[in-house]
Amino acid sequence: MSIFTPTNQIRLTNVAVVRMKKGGKRFEIACYKNKVMSWRSGAEKDLDEVLQTNTVFVNVSKGQVAKKDDLSVAFGTEDLTEICKQILAKGELQVSDKERHSQLEQMFRDIATIVAEKCVNPETKRPYTVNLIERAMKDIHYSVKANKSTKQQALEVIKQLKESIQIQRAHMRLRFVLPAKDGKRLKEKLKTLIKVVESEDFDDQLEMVCLIDPGCFREIDELIRCETKGKGTLEVLSLKDVEEGDERLE
Amino acid sequence: MGHTILERIIALQKRTSNIRNLCILAHVDHGKTTLADCLVASNGIISSRLAGKLRYLDSREDEQIRGITMKSSAISLHYTTGEDEYLINLIDSPGHVDFSSEVSTAVRLCDGAIVVVDAVEGVCPQTQVVLRQAWLENIRPVLVINKIDRLIVELKLTSQEAFTHLQKILEQVNAVTGTLFTSKVLEERAEKDTGAPSSCPENSNGDQVYDWSAGLEETDDSDLYFSPDRGNVVFASAIDGWGFRIHQFAEMYSQKMGIRSSVLLKTLWGDFYLNLKAKKIMKGAQSKGKKPLFVQLVLDNIWSLYDAVVTRRDKEKVEKMVTSLGLKVMARDLRHSDPKVLLSAICSQWLPVSQAVLSMVCEKLPSPAEMSSERVEKLMSVGVRRFDSLHEKTQELKKAFLDCSADGTAPVIVFVSKMFAVDPKSLPQNKQRPLTQEEIAQRRELARQRHAERQTTNQSAETPGSPDDGGASIPSTPATNSVTDTLCAQTEALSVKAAVEDESKEHFVAFARVYSGVIRKGQRVFVLGPKYDPSLALRTLPEGCSVADELPAIPHMACCTVDRLYLLMGRELDELDEVPSGNVLGIGGMEEFILKSATISTSPACPPFTPLNFEATPIVRVAIEPKHPSEMPKLVRGMKLLNQADPCAEVLIQETGEHVLVTAGEVHLQRCLDDLRERFAKIEISASEPIIPFRETIIRPPKVDMVNEEMGKQQKVAVIHQVKDDQSKYPEGIQVDSTGLVILTTPNKMATVRVRAIPLPEQVTRLLEDNVEVIRTMEQFSTFVREGKTLDINQKILENIQDFKVKLESHLQGHKWRGAVERIWAFGPRRCGPNILLNSIESYRRPSIWQCLDQEKERPETLTFRDFDNSIVSGFQLATLSGPMCEEPLMGVCFSIETWDMNFQKDLVDKEPSTDTQSGSSVDCYGPFSGQLIATVKEACRYAFQAQPQRLMAATYTCEIMATAEVLGRVYGVLSKREGRVLHEEMKEGTDMFIIKAVLPVAESFGFADEIRKRTSGLASPQLVFSHWEVISSDPLWVPTTEEEYLHFGEKADSSNQALKYMNAVRRRKGLYVDEKIVEHGEKQRTLGKNK
Repeated sequence: MSIFTPTNQIRLTNVAVVRMKKGGKRFEIACYKNKVMSWRSGAEKDLDEVLQTNTVFVNVSKGQVAKKDDLSVAFGTEDLTEICKQILAKGELQVSDKERHSQLEQMFRDIATIVAEKCVNPETKRPYTVNLIERAMKDIHYSVKANKSTKQQALEVIKQLKESIQIQRAHMRLRFVLPAKDGKRLKEKLKTLIKVVESEDFDDQLEMVCLIDPGCFREIDELIRCETKGKGTLEVLSLKDVEEGDERLE
Repeated sequence: MGHTILERIIALQKRTSNIRNLCILAHVDHGKTTLADCLVASNGIISSRLAGKLRYLDSREDEQIRGITMKSSAISLHYTTGEDEYLINLIDSPGHVDFSSEVSTAVRLCDGAIVVVDAVEGVCPQTQVVLRQAWLENIRPVLVINKIDRLIVELKLTSQEAFTHLQKILEQVNAVTGTLFTSKVLEERAEKDTGAPSSCPENSNGDQVYDWSAGLEETDDSDLYFSPDRGNVVFASAIDGWGFRIHQFAEMYSQKMGIRSSVLLKTLWGDFYLNLKAKKIMKGAQSKGKKPLFVQLVLDNIWSLYDAVVTRRDKEKVEKMVTSLGLKVMARDLRHSDPKVLLSAICSQWLPVSQAVLSMVCEKLPSPAEMSSERVEKLMSVGVRRFDSLHEKTQELKKAFLDCSADGTAPVIVFVSKMFAVDPKSLPQNKQRPLTQEEIAQRRELARQRHAERQTTNQSAETPGSPDDGGASIPSTPATNSVTDTLCAQTEALSVKAAVEDESKEHFVAFARVYSGVIRKGQRVFVLGPKYDPSLALRTLPEGCSVADELPAIPHMACCTVDRLYLLMGRELDELDEVPSGNVLGIGGMEEFILKSATISTSPACPPFTPLNFEATPIVRVAIEPKHPSEMPKLVRGMKLLNQADPCAEVLIQETGEHVLVTAGEVHLQRCLDDLRERFAKIEISASEPIIPFRETIIRPPKVDMVNEEMGKQQKVAVIHQVKDDQSKYPEGIQVDSTGLVILTTPNKMATVRVRAIPLPEQVTRLLEDNVEVIRTMEQFSTFVREGKTLDINQKILENIQDFKVKLESHLQGHKWRGAVERIWAFGPRRCGPNILLNSIESYRRPSIWQCLDQEKERPETLTFRDFDNSIVSGFQLATLSGPMCEEPLMGVCFSIETWDMNFQKDLVDKEPSTDTQSGSSVDCYGPFSGQLIATVKEACRYAFQAQPQRLMAATYTCEIMATAEVLGRVYGVLSKREGRVLHEEMKEGTDMFIIKAVLPVAESFGFADEIRKRTSGLASPQLVFSHWEVISSDPLWVPTTEEEYLHFGEKADSSNQALKYMNAVRRRKGLYVDEKIVEHGEKQRTLGKNK
């Protein structure tokens, strides 16, 4: 029976515990804080920098070492280093604050970079800088979700940013050529998906250069391919329509 | 300012020969503005007590706080000597190197310059620069040696020592002038030699010709130099308010001692002494150990005055001196505890500095009418064009320049050297002024009406209950109200008038000078931009047309009406109706037409003036962002205004979307930012280091390792974690062989591609970069052909394409590249970049990209596109757009597709686009096949790239540095610290300046200019121009593998790897994964519990 009083409560300093259940038993190893993630990502290559000791425990805080028999049954080996490596790779751990912080920060940056890549200022047709997007994201108090992909979150951010600054997805410039009879039929359907028609030429076939929202590309692609039975051609002229080159303000 | 002075100035403006346009030039902190203060005080604009403390012409707040001048500002002064009255248009200029552009704008408008030199510091870098600027603009300088009081009070020199010190300074200044002169003579001679080698020197006459032997000796340069006996040097202490020329003393002593003043004048400066016994002035004071005349007669007096007043505070002696000098000093000053007050009270009466300086200016500097024809020609001939090559009509204008006549018939020629923003409140039309009688009457009338209205409404309101009135009063109320409203509006409009609408707008006033004719308010004039070509205009314009006519549009020319003319009085402006030639003035309402500088004329034949030569080119680049992203439009507007207001600042938007501000230096940058914040944009902004672009490339495997040992011979160190495990980089499903061939299959196992990455030779990369336009046309042509149309390309472009192809073939030699040019599939990224996709598939012969070249020949029918050809190209484009190292574009890489197998049933592909098998591809869990292929090719290219030795490419500047010999070592130090590489250095002929040419990575250039200036005390000034991309030789992914490397670089080897630093910085900025540990040493962290 353990009495949880300050005197017999042992606090581990600078220890991160990685746990794994295997063969019905729980195994733990004692690692240094903030190091396990580095090991998993490959940045840390020195195992001694990660492990406090290569002993495998049943309970680290109580100091109960795992029995050799249990280990060999569960892992099929008695090499402690090998077992430690396995636990390190697959075990569960409490992510430390620094690790979480750096991960979130990295994701935040990543999202901002994706947004900056995908969007332009509709007035100047020029992209925003990542810094500016980051600041705008902070202004709208966007919080990163660690378990969602950055791309998904970036799309969400664009939607939210539209309320505070002038921003829009960079348009895709497409050119398609449709046979005349399909052209007539599809034109109206396509018109709803197109943002700006830059040029339109309709003699023996319909040729169009237009700007679309990148989100509609699949739809248009599908539409043209299915409806024209492969006779229509679709070509992406530019993935994003932005001003190129430097401009001197005068 | 009083009305009387204004009227007098207006009267004086018409007398061209009595006008002096001059500017004050000097090194920073040598006392330009203080001197200007003294001169301003002489006109009673400020109190003479405050002179030197107020710094009247430093009207900006930050100028006052920092204590340096940041802009050139003009003031018109009035000076009377004897019966002659002079108008002096004084321009004060900044001395800090960052603002040397402002000096250029000031110098252009002047005929003369006062060069101020600190008596203690002597000739400083900026002194040399301003002397050179004055020289280049052909304006005549006079010298003021300032702060002589410091020699007495701070350095405690004896009068004898001070004399030698002053002599030295004078020599230094003259030495600078001398080098300028010799370099000009040498240059001219060189020009003559190259320009007209055939013409014999004997044929041409005049003093302009120098032959080889006696170039320098023949040219008379004695009138260039400063010498007190010529009367172009003033010794002064502007802070104490005294200054003198030796003329004054010569006259004084000629009366006292009975020596002719002309004799005294010649001997007062120099190695002469007074032999009292013989009553003669003898030569050789120094060798005989006698006191030179200057010391005895001049300096000793001043020294004893300082001694009595400042050092010993001997009241009696002071009083004696004062009476002997015949001065009256107020009792208040005599009693003052600060000796400086007394000193300046005495000095400013005894030897007033303004008197000395202004009389020198009037005597020695030319009036606008005396402009030399040489200078006129220089002003009129733009760039390399010689004066004689100009249009006849233009040449005729030279006469107008020389006459400088204020006649109404003379053509108006005005040069605007800069635009400056003015606070709308300080414009004279917005100023509070006493109301005239009529206005008062009008106001009274309005007030009376309003009062009457109010009474009637009150009456009607009082009787709402009365039934007979009820119906009438209700509709009448709104009517009366509206009347009152309009009345109110009227009154307001009268009192505030335009001020309200103008408040929001920034006002620009053009800083200009009239060179000929009279400019009047309301006049129609041509505004000619710097690139205007008079001969072109003369051809298009009908004969004898004037500004009032309807004119066809001519580039760089605009017509406008002169809105307002101002007299510039420092921080104040006074409105004028007309300004005759030879005067400095401000012109309002030109912001629509003039960007930075322009020429204004009534004659279309007038050439634009030569552009101002700026000593400092803008090189400090920062990216500017608003604090709140929604304020972007305000920032853009503010930056445009800033660009107009500052002659030297440049603003631009980069392709990355960054707004970049380029300034001349850190102080200039600070001022620009302050201006943006407080005047032009009025928002919070932040400035940061601009984004630095990189490129990714691959190279041939290096033969030697990092310690210059041959590869492969050493024993690999058996440290497991140090050895690069090649296969581990690649995820499953990818096979990479030892030669770098990558095999990758699409997720649905339908297609397999083999890709190899090959480095392109450097010349090819450069060729591709230079021919972007050509490639683009070719691309356009191919897409047209594919759709069965033809595009006509003109012969010239075809030749270009042919030429490009031949060059490409000549560079791609060797068996590896056999037939490569014909097999080029595409260029990338964006279809025209410096990377090549090569079709090395045996069985696939697709139409060539060169097909536009052989249109005539019949094309064999077998060449058709395979399906999904486009997907491969798209994949390649994506891969080249962002590389694996840090997602920057690739450069100089060739991807060769070796095989492309489609191992699925033929019918599936055929039918795939059709509706029923469409289901086949959409059933496919990996999405449409074309998309899969794009992704696969992209991935394959990326891995193929990674299989080769990767390198980063950094953008590089070429950097030209002018430096004197003594700071050469420091320049080299700064360059090598910043990874720069010196290409060559050479001495500039005729000077002691060295010109160093170096390359410097853009990434290292932030703060470079500032550092180099600081380290060399401003003696070296760099200029940076973007030149090319350069491969950084170190491998960003390198780890030591051999024993030597291990010993040399240690375990981590991150100390010397510049490429790794760059790569990680970019990755961190982009939020990509950086191969760095969160905590370096696990042992060394402390975890303190929260509840402990």
